[in-house]
Amino acid sequence: MSVRRIVTVVEEIHAEGGRELARPARIAVVAAVIENPWAGQGFVEDLGPGIEANASDLGALLAPAVLDALGAPAEAYGKAAIVGLDGEIEHGSALIHTLRFGDHFRKAANATTLLPAVEKRGPAGVVFDIPLKHITDATIRSHHQSFEVRISDAPHPGEIVIALAAAAQGRPQQRLAPLTTEQ
Amino acid sequence: MQESLEHTDESIGLRKLVLYRDVVLTEAGEAPARPAWRASVAAVVRNPWLGSGPSTDLTLEQARVAPALAKLLTDRLIQCLGGVDEIESFGKAAIVGTAGEIEHAGALIHTPYFGNLVREFLQGESIICFADTRAEAGESLIIPLWHKTHAATRSHYQTISARVSDGPRADEIVVIAAASTGPRPHPRIGDRLTDPVVTTETLEVVPS
Repeated sequence: MSVRRIVTVVEEIHAEGGRELARPARIAVVAAVIENPWAGQGFVEDLGPGIEANASDLGALLAPAVLDALGAPAEAYGKAAIVGLDGEIEHGSALIHTLRFGDHFRKAANATTLLPAVEKRGPAGVVFDIPLKHITDATIRSHHQSFEVRISDAPHPGEIVIALAAAAQGRPQQRLAPLTTEQ
Repeated sequence: MQESLEHTDESIGLRKLVLYRDVVLTEAGEAPARPAWRASVAAVVRNPWLGSGPSTDLTLEQARVAPALAKLLTDRLIQCLGGVDEIESFGKAAIVGTAGEIEHAGALIHTPYFGNLVREFLQGESIICFADTRAEAGESLIIPLWHKTHAATRSHYQTISARVSDGPRADEIVVIAAASTGPRPHPRIGDRLTDPVVTTETLEVVPS
């Protein structure tokens, strides 16, 4: 796995809707800009060996880093694969849609649910939104949220940006009735 | 003095803080001799001069808001870059929302109430290089950095881009401090000490 850059973004929201929050709301993202393992190989039928060689290492790199950046227990999480213009979205999906990748985060965060994801292809500097949901119950409405990210110089055409996102709470000023009240 | 630097979110109208940090592990296929961490911290605050005209005296509010921002932003920079001794270069920036004046952005970063304090907190001596603009929310601003004690150190001329996805709103100002723990990934464009003399007379081909 060849990593060019590691990017960390942490947002701390102090007020929302004109009201100060009881405690600041934190969301963190850590992204690795890596060489697309299948770059320059034409159509690769079997993505298995590339997944085997990279997915677990990526999860092991990003999971502790994003929890460290968050600085608090994660309550919601999500992931992203943003493929450079010469690659297939399938390449990004290959790296993140496998237990080898996600289990590192689930284990580190004591989480049980599947990680919501964004997969997208675009030029360097493309804006992407990472969806986050609750780490043990994806129906908990207060924790449905998304986080916007842009990395100015990535992904290059032959690269992939792989990212994990973690939130220490639900939406700031969340006040929707839970799903159960409508059932 | 110390007490007056204790910010409260309410008093400076702080809505959010956005921290961005990156490290280059390979550039042009090779690992840098000294991988540098670069970071920017942006605070989105209410424009304290909204609705005032161009003859308004800006000193009162800048003396109140700018020192709190200098403390808040440098604390975060120092924390995320591994300590003040690690920081080698710095820069600053402001983006004023569309209902404000560019002078409002300048008032929060170009006076001693911000610049002197940022320099002091980051233990620098150089003038702090800067960028400022007026923009809609989500615009990227490229912030120049240079060496905090020897501004002419060419290896440390570098930039970092900062962006707040939903700020500044028209009535807000984004104030940013940025720093780096080292030079560009593969610096090799010499320095003033190694430069030849370059004038129109020494060049074989003179641009015309």
